[in-house]
Amino acid sequence: MRRIALAAAVALIAASGNALAEGEDEGPFSEGSQAKNWNLLGQEKARFEAKVVDVLCEVAGDCPENCGDGRRQLGLLRSSDGVLVLANKNVQPAFTGANLDLLPYCNQEVEVDGLLVGLPEYTPAKMYQVQLIRRKGEAEWSKTNRWTKEWAAANPEAAEAKGPWFRKDPRINALIERDGYLGLGLEKDEAFKKYLFEE
Amino acid sequence: MRALVTGLMLAALALPAGALAATQGERVKIKGEIIDTWCYFSGVMGGPDSVVGSAHHTCALWCAAGGIPVGVLAEDGTVYMVLKYEGDDNVTGGDTILEVQSDLISADGLLYQRDGINYLVVEKVTANEGLVNLSHEDYDVIPPFAIPKPKK
Repeated sequence: MRRIALAAAVALIAASGNALAEGEDEGPFSEGSQAKNWNLLGQEKARFEAKVVDVLCEVAGDCPENCGDGRRQLGLLRSSDGVLVLANKNVQPAFTGANLDLLPYCNQEVEVDGLLVGLPEYTPAKMYQVQLIRRKGEAEWSKTNRWTKEWAAANPEAAEAKGPWFRKDPRINALIERDGYLGLGLEKDEAFKKYLFEE
Repeated sequence: MRALVTGLMLAALALPAGALAATQGERVKIKGEIIDTWCYFSGVMGGPDSVVGSAHHTCALWCAAGGIPVGVLAEDGTVYMVLKYEGDDNVTGGDTILEVQSDLISADGLLYQRDGINYLVVEKVTANEGLVNLSHEDYDVIPPFAIPKPKK
């Protein structure tokens, strides 16, 4: 059963890795987009103007200074239709969100370029991966690659070691040391690793 | 009367834009698993069933610490985006939200629906059953490199 399920998962990964046909990732906001293809479910290139907002402030009226200073999820209030788009991901292929990349633009008008993502079976509204951002009227785009720099500045000792941030993050490593990679305790983790790597 | 109306208008202008658009939340009780919403919705690592539970726990830690929105996946498949967790608004990698990754929780909260997305303010967690979705039994580990191969 496990092997069948695993094969199905791998097949899905492989399917999502297939190149999209030309125009397949076009949508109502794709005009002029230079977003890179990530082969994601329901992916649509999307470039639009918006205001960067603190989502909790926007939906509940709970509004601290500076959009929560990086603690909160940020969104994009799209200028053309007033839709609140949730910014889920930045451009880095490193398990990183978009909040730190949007924070310098809190409550400012911007133009963004990226991918709207998700299938209607799972989400009525697509999430957004912000790849590029610039203030309205600016010529130069900025890549949304700020997260790992911020992490390195906050974790200078860990940052000096080799490897990606998520292998070195002290809080993550402490949780794995306590609960294991599966989150089920060290005993189950050891048995699973034996199966995974030795059998 | 005119002075009162003018005063109210000026007060409204002084509020952040969000305060004007905000709505009253609906009081709800939610039961579901704390998940990583990027992997769940984007399919970047496979189908939705493979990116929840124990198989995806390490990746869920990475994504939560990385500030990717955390959600609660209810039994009916609805995903609620968490904006605040028991009074803590640090949902972009804070210690509290990191600690509960992959857990099955029951909670009282406030629901705000906006443009097709369910946003949730978790007010009180009434039960935390821990990690009960043993997805590694079906999927091993997703992504496969989440558990590093032991050095010989």
